[in-house]
Amino acid sequence: MHAEASLPISAPQKASWNALTGIPAFAARHARDVISVLLLLVLLAPVAWLIQMAFRPAADALELNFQFTPTLDAFKALWQDAFARSFGNSLLVSSLSTGLSMLIGVPAAYALSRWKFRQRSHVALWILCTRMAPPIAFTIPFFLAFRWLGMLDTVWALVIVYLTFNLAIVTWMMQGFFDAIPTALEEAAWLDGCGIWSAFWHVTLPLTRPGLVATAVLCFIFSWSDFFFALILTRTQAVTAPVAIVNFLQYDGWEWTKIAAAGTLVMLPVLIFTALVRKYLVHGLTAGGVKD
Amino acid sequence: MPPAATAALPSIQALPTSGGMVPSRTTPAPKLTKQWQRESARSYGLGLAPALVVLGGITLLPLLTLITVSLTPLSLTNPEGTFHFNQPLGNYAQLLEDERFVHSLWVQFKLSTVGVVLQLLIGLSLALLLNTGSRVASGVRTLFLIPMVLPPIVVALIWKILYTPEISPMHALLEHWGLPVRSLIANPDTALWAIVAADVWQWFPFTMLMVLANLQMVPRDPLDAARIDGANRWQVFRYIVFPFLQRTLVVCALFRLIDSFKAFPLLYVLTNGGPGTVTEVTNFYGFIQAFNFSYWGYGSAIAVVMLVIIFALCALVSYLGRNAGERHAR
Repeated sequence: MHAEASLPISAPQKASWNALTGIPAFAARHARDVISVLLLLVLLAPVAWLIQMAFRPAADALELNFQFTPTLDAFKALWQDAFARSFGNSLLVSSLSTGLSMLIGVPAAYALSRWKFRQRSHVALWILCTRMAPPIAFTIPFFLAFRWLGMLDTVWALVIVYLTFNLAIVTWMMQGFFDAIPTALEEAAWLDGCGIWSAFWHVTLPLTRPGLVATAVLCFIFSWSDFFFALILTRTQAVTAPVAIVNFLQYDGWEWTKIAAAGTLVMLPVLIFTALVRKYLVHGLTAGGVKD
Repeated sequence: MPPAATAALPSIQALPTSGGMVPSRTTPAPKLTKQWQRESARSYGLGLAPALVVLGGITLLPLLTLITVSLTPLSLTNPEGTFHFNQPLGNYAQLLEDERFVHSLWVQFKLSTVGVVLQLLIGLSLALLLNTGSRVASGVRTLFLIPMVLPPIVVALIWKILYTPEISPMHALLEHWGLPVRSLIANPDTALWAIVAADVWQWFPFTMLMVLANLQMVPRDPLDAARIDGANRWQVFRYIVFPFLQRTLVVCALFRLIDSFKAFPLLYVLTNGGPGTVTEVTNFYGFIQAFNFSYWGYGSAIAVVMLVIIFALCALVSYLGRNAGERHAR
């Protein structure tokens, strides 16, 4: 440290500073690239292993080599199975819940973004808290209520329960997108005689289209990924794909290729969608530490 | 010299905001403004109302139900227990004597602390590794987030395969190197740490993401100055970058801590709380009491205790978050 500190290095001579630390800058950068790619491969190897298992012939499932002819048998078997139905349930529940939470959450987010009323921060905090609460705290009351209403094992029960986290995601994310849009355009529309909501509909909403898409996609992913609520609130009729996978693990005598194929199918939409909204992913995932 | 370091910091206060509903100078008459304000408040209220009503219905109502149920002995075997408040605190008193509950808190503590610390360390190291301008790093960055976006059940499935010796490539490799290991999740000594490993694999990207975002806001000037003064990489990190990241790391840790209370799919699929009760965390114990044994009153009491702990942590997050905001604004 002290030896270096006495050396007269000025900003334009940064290259020579890098040389002093031992490794020239470009070599250091390449070393880091190589290390990060290697780490990435190790990190994702388990995922790749699951996917390749899905394409094995059932007889080869337990082999630990790559010498097999890929087949779609496992996927075909799933298609003829009850799994197709649970996959459909997942699609239905996730779309309905996403649609409903956008319908209710987007106007709320706009109001929270533009309307500076006194209790605003309290409302925002309350919404964030719903995101933090442990699911078990919701499931017991919801289970008892749905049992009483005869709604256990229905698609609608899940649609309603998923609102608990989707509404929070929509209001938090969309509020951010609305905040980023200058109010001048709306004000012009107001002066031209537009009402607040018609200005919102004709001026603001079209400007936030990418934000709307990203938010909807994240809602879809979170509903799609839920396991806990679906496990407790469904039995046979409304079972979603994640729960169906666990049923395979428990009852189907460990048909690993089928299990792997089901897992691949469940992660596929998530991977496609996250690739689509990559730019907004960070925004959504860190909004109040959203997860599940 | 570039402008002062503080100018590079995005600050919420510095963003242009239009304070009122209407541009104050150009409005025709103050009377109209008043009326417009009243009208706008009404229509904003209309937009907010459905969300508040629905949120009230799906959060406050269940919360009240949960607390009410936790004061009763409601269970499948005791359906009349619904409005039975003879011993309102009976469930809570029982919790204190329930060794399995106390044990579950201890398991939760081990799982949470070790998991969070590892996630912070790995997330921070990877963020520092990937924080270069190179095209490879920026391309690879999003791929590192994959474990975090995968459905939890798929993550559980992946690790179930890795921890099942007959089909696991990991076990095959170990055997190949002459290190045969029996199933990690069936061994009481290793089961919890096997879960922690899977949890860390899934969630270190969260820390990585937050730290990376924060690293991009580190002001350039102190860095350059330190380098000119001859500080080495470690010194630059220790005395300039790390203090800047400190708050983010704390908030990150708390977020992950709160989320660690919800770990469920991994436990359910990998160990089901076993062997014995070695991996049974509080959340899982509550689930078993409520849905395996149908002791809804008792399960609710466990959920209430967890809620209290989590909201205390939440309060801490918002307190630290606010402080962090003030520090950055300065």
